[in-house]
Amino acid sequence: MAEARTEPRRPLPEITELTAPFWQAAKEGRLVMQRCRACGELTWCPRPSCVECGGEDLEWDQLSGRGTVYTFTVIRQLAGRGARAFEKDIPYVIAWVDLEEGPRFYTNIVGCPVDDVEIGMKVEVVFDPVSDDISLPKFKPRS
Amino acid sequence: MSIRGSTAIIGIGETPVDRLGRRPGERRRTIPEYLTWAARLAMEDAGLTRKDFDGQGLAAIYTTNYLQPFWPEETASILGITPALSMANANGGAATVSALGQAAAAIQAGLVERVLCVAASCTFVENHNGAEPRDVRDFEVPYGLMGANSGIALVMRRHMHEYGTTLDALGNIAVTARYHASLNPNAYLKKPMTLEDYKTSRLVADPVRLLDCVMPANGGKAFILTSAERAADMPRKPVYLMGFGEQDNPSYGPRTHSDATIMGIRDAGARAFAMAGVTADDMDFAQLYDDYVVIEMMQMEDLGFCEKGDTKYFESTDFSFKGTLPIQTGGGMINCGQPSTCGGMIHILESVTQLRGDGDDRQVAGARTGLCTGLGGLPYGKNLGSTAVAILSNDNG
Repeated sequence: MAEARTEPRRPLPEITELTAPFWQAAKEGRLVMQRCRACGELTWCPRPSCVECGGEDLEWDQLSGRGTVYTFTVIRQLAGRGARAFEKDIPYVIAWVDLEEGPRFYTNIVGCPVDDVEIGMKVEVVFDPVSDDISLPKFKPRS
Repeated sequence: MSIRGSTAIIGIGETPVDRLGRRPGERRRTIPEYLTWAARLAMEDAGLTRKDFDGQGLAAIYTTNYLQPFWPEETASILGITPALSMANANGGAATVSALGQAAAAIQAGLVERVLCVAASCTFVENHNGAEPRDVRDFEVPYGLMGANSGIALVMRRHMHEYGTTLDALGNIAVTARYHASLNPNAYLKKPMTLEDYKTSRLVADPVRLLDCVMPANGGKAFILTSAERAADMPRKPVYLMGFGEQDNPSYGPRTHSDATIMGIRDAGARAFAMAGVTADDMDFAQLYDDYVVIEMMQMEDLGFCEKGDTKYFESTDFSFKGTLPIQTGGGMINCGQPSTCGGMIHILESVTQLRGDGDDRQVAGARTGLCTGLGGLPYGKNLGSTAVAILSNDNG
């Protein structure tokens, strides 16, 4: 079967023993992170131990899904390997959202024109089902 | 026991850079050729041969374009030498400055008498296996990460937001570096650039512009380090390592959301200054790791050349080789090309050139002491992950 001009495949995360609870929750529309039972701090990205105190007793904790744009960039040109999969999205916004609970989250800002995004903007999580197993947490302006 | 003044650079080598291999099928050189070429130039400069590196130290630099776990052994094999100590450094753009400090420690400890540090890369091809940090692969790439451009853009916008950073301030740095490149026969981009050229260059990852970015290239570089005692008998004027500092995986604030406008170079620099017994005011020049213009600015702030966010300082200071703080006196990596992790060595080599008095049309008059930096890696949600500072001088008193 001829496969003419297939779209470049979008890179997807690998689901591992460590990250499976995160992706399962995302699929169910919940944003979760690991909280250390010893010191109470959140750890992100997923880790085998708490990055603040080294404790290994971590539990997945549901977060509010609310945050603030710490900084952002508007992507206007392809760069680097594997970039072509995102060509049709240009221009799009990559942002670091600081969640109400603390951790910074790498994401896209969606649901508004790229020119409306600004530092300090209040945002909330939405889930983008990009495959059967993966729903990427993204953020939109909070009304 | 400090390594202050106990070792010296006695040879440097730098191949020309090129951009061959961008088009499929284009004839090009490979990493072993640049590696061999750079090592030979450094050995010739030092008055040494390959035989002088049997039973000595080899510092091999991992390149992002050829990730081979046994790279130090392959490097030795390519060069035909038999080291008594192989050091491997994988600190990205910080790797060569980081290796300088490690090599000095190895020499002072008596493990070896001299170390060859050599790096090369072919940016456009080679068998890149796509290995990336797991955080990046799983939690950044799916959102459309665009290489380093998007990472630095995030840091740059936050810096502009907090400090009112202007294009005039950034442009002064960019234009000065290009001016220096025009005076350096080894530079790649030599066409004069104006402030207006910088300010109007196209946005690639807003606010990062084309003229903010370093350019990938192919090439190789090398230096040779030995003890201060042995350096005294060598043909070239020794350039002593007076101070060294490194800071990796820095965090300023909670680890999950640290202040991204502060660089680890603040602590790496403080260690290097303390070891050398000098301050920023004593520097006759600064060769700053320059993957992006804003990163040069942030380093000058965090090394203490000015207050954080002093836009007026960056707009009004003469950074030329005749100015109050000469920076990037050979044009820097932005104008000389970035052969992956090899690129950062340019700041060591330009420092040596200046401290030997070999800067010709761009020589800083009376240069005695200066610093060079290396930076590598863009970890999740943070400023650069590996940072290193070396303070070099032609006087180890």
